[in-house]
Amino acid sequence: MLKIKDLCVEADEKKILNNVSLEIKKGTFHVLLGPNGSGKTTLAKTIMGLDHHKLKKGQIIFGQEDITKLKPEERAKLGIALTFQHPPAIKGVKLSEFLNRISKTDAYKKYLTTDLLERQVNVGFSGGELKHSELAQVFATEPKFIIFDEVDSGIDMKRLETITKMIKEWISPDNSALVITHNPRVIELLKPDIIDILLDGKITCSTNNWNEIYCTIAKYGYEKCKECKLSAD
Amino acid sequence: MDMKNAKNANYLQIDNTIRQMYASKGNIILPSREAFEKYDWTRKYFVEKPKEGYFIWIKEQTDAPLFSCVSIKTKDTRQELNNLVVIEKDLKIKIRGTCNSMEEKICGEHKAKGKIILRQNASLDYQHTHKWGNSDSVKTDYDFILEENATLEYNYKNLHTPKNLFLKTSVHSHKNSSANLNIVINAVDSKIQVEDVIHLKEKNAKGILRFRFVGRKNSETKTTSRIVAEASAEGHLDCHALLVDEDASIVLRPELENKNKDSILTHEASVGKIADEQLDYLRCRGLSEKQAIDLIVGGFLR
Repeated sequence: MLKIKDLCVEADEKKILNNVSLEIKKGTFHVLLGPNGSGKTTLAKTIMGLDHHKLKKGQIIFGQEDITKLKPEERAKLGIALTFQHPPAIKGVKLSEFLNRISKTDAYKKYLTTDLLERQVNVGFSGGELKHSELAQVFATEPKFIIFDEVDSGIDMKRLETITKMIKEWISPDNSALVITHNPRVIELLKPDIIDILLDGKITCSTNNWNEIYCTIAKYGYEKCKECKLSAD
Repeated sequence: MDMKNAKNANYLQIDNTIRQMYASKGNIILPSREAFEKYDWTRKYFVEKPKEGYFIWIKEQTDAPLFSCVSIKTKDTRQELNNLVVIEKDLKIKIRGTCNSMEEKICGEHKAKGKIILRQNASLDYQHTHKWGNSDSVKTDYDFILEENATLEYNYKNLHTPKNLFLKTSVHSHKNSSANLNIVINAVDSKIQVEDVIHLKEKNAKGILRFRFVGRKNSETKTTSRIVAEASAEGHLDCHALLVDEDASIVLRPELENKNKDSILTHEASVGKIADEQLDYLRCRGLSEKQAIDLIVGGFLR
């Protein structure tokens, strides 16, 4: 479904992503793990077409199409979606109004309370409300592939369980997902098909052995990943 | 009020002709010129004998909103209105006023001077909408006089600006009165000057001036908003503007003048552009850049 080849992204002459390659097949569910500052959100934004000027090299294929030069809205129309870690407030626009504008379905309504639908987009939302709103928005556009950026930020464990359950319910053989997190506990909840580890702008490991990854990082932190036998380098 | 609803207007003027005039029982609507002749007391509010315009005198409670509509239909029409609205004691009234041009490129000129008097304990909810073509010139000068305990909610919205717009609004607030003004302007191909002031003249008067301006292509907006406290009172200015296009400019000049040590006057003001994060966010949801800007601007002006 998605192929990323040799992506290099720079900001202020500093390499953020360094020859990143990744393939996400149709019907598979990836988790991208990495410490803060490893380049996870930059990778998400690059896939979505944001900050295009920072992309120095590489190619992104979605389905059969080279989308490397497409605008974010063109990628969205092809079926790529991104949930934001820090979604901006859109004052004066009700969430229900916005969802009606972008949605292809009203299935999103089950994720949101009437009260939240009547409020302005992301204005004064709590951490949990932001996550619910983000998920409802991307589900409403009926994408084929969703990047969930930092699913666990700003929410407690109970809410994280609800959010991960919603993500797992969305997964099907026809679509794919990439969940980005720095928290290894998220893996345990999601039980993904593949885990990719991003360290210092490089994917150092891709494996389906999520349990081993979870135990290793939970015990030793990301330092151990640098010397791990599963490491791609 | 759309023109299709104009048949329900209490006062309808097209070009320089009054097409309709209707007042509910106990209330009076007249051409200003006639009121000037008929009621001596109105002369202290009309500076000179009016050429045209309306006189609305509300003496009985009416729950339905009162509609006024002044339109320009014919090319090169010049309007020079002198309006007077008086709302008597204890009445709670709604007015929906529209001033517009009915055609594009008709080079109309609309000048309106008016006084709106709210007697003791009176309350007015006034929604004022302007919709002009970009060859028109518009100049308005309104005075609101709020007697003791009077309450004013005035919402002025202009999403279709004329070539030239001069908008002057003054509020004179007396004891325990409250004024809440919201001015919303979306400037496109326009030169705009706005001068608004609230005079808090007596004890416990309250005033809020809230501006939302958007500067779009080929527009120049200059505003001076001012609150003057002459007695122990409270006032707040809230002025925010968005500059959308490169060839637009906005000057916001908030002024607070405090002549009483027990008064509290505050303000907040900003002129900025649409944040890139907002545009990126909406584009990731499938909106084009133009659609995203329109959505953000629409929300900002709401």
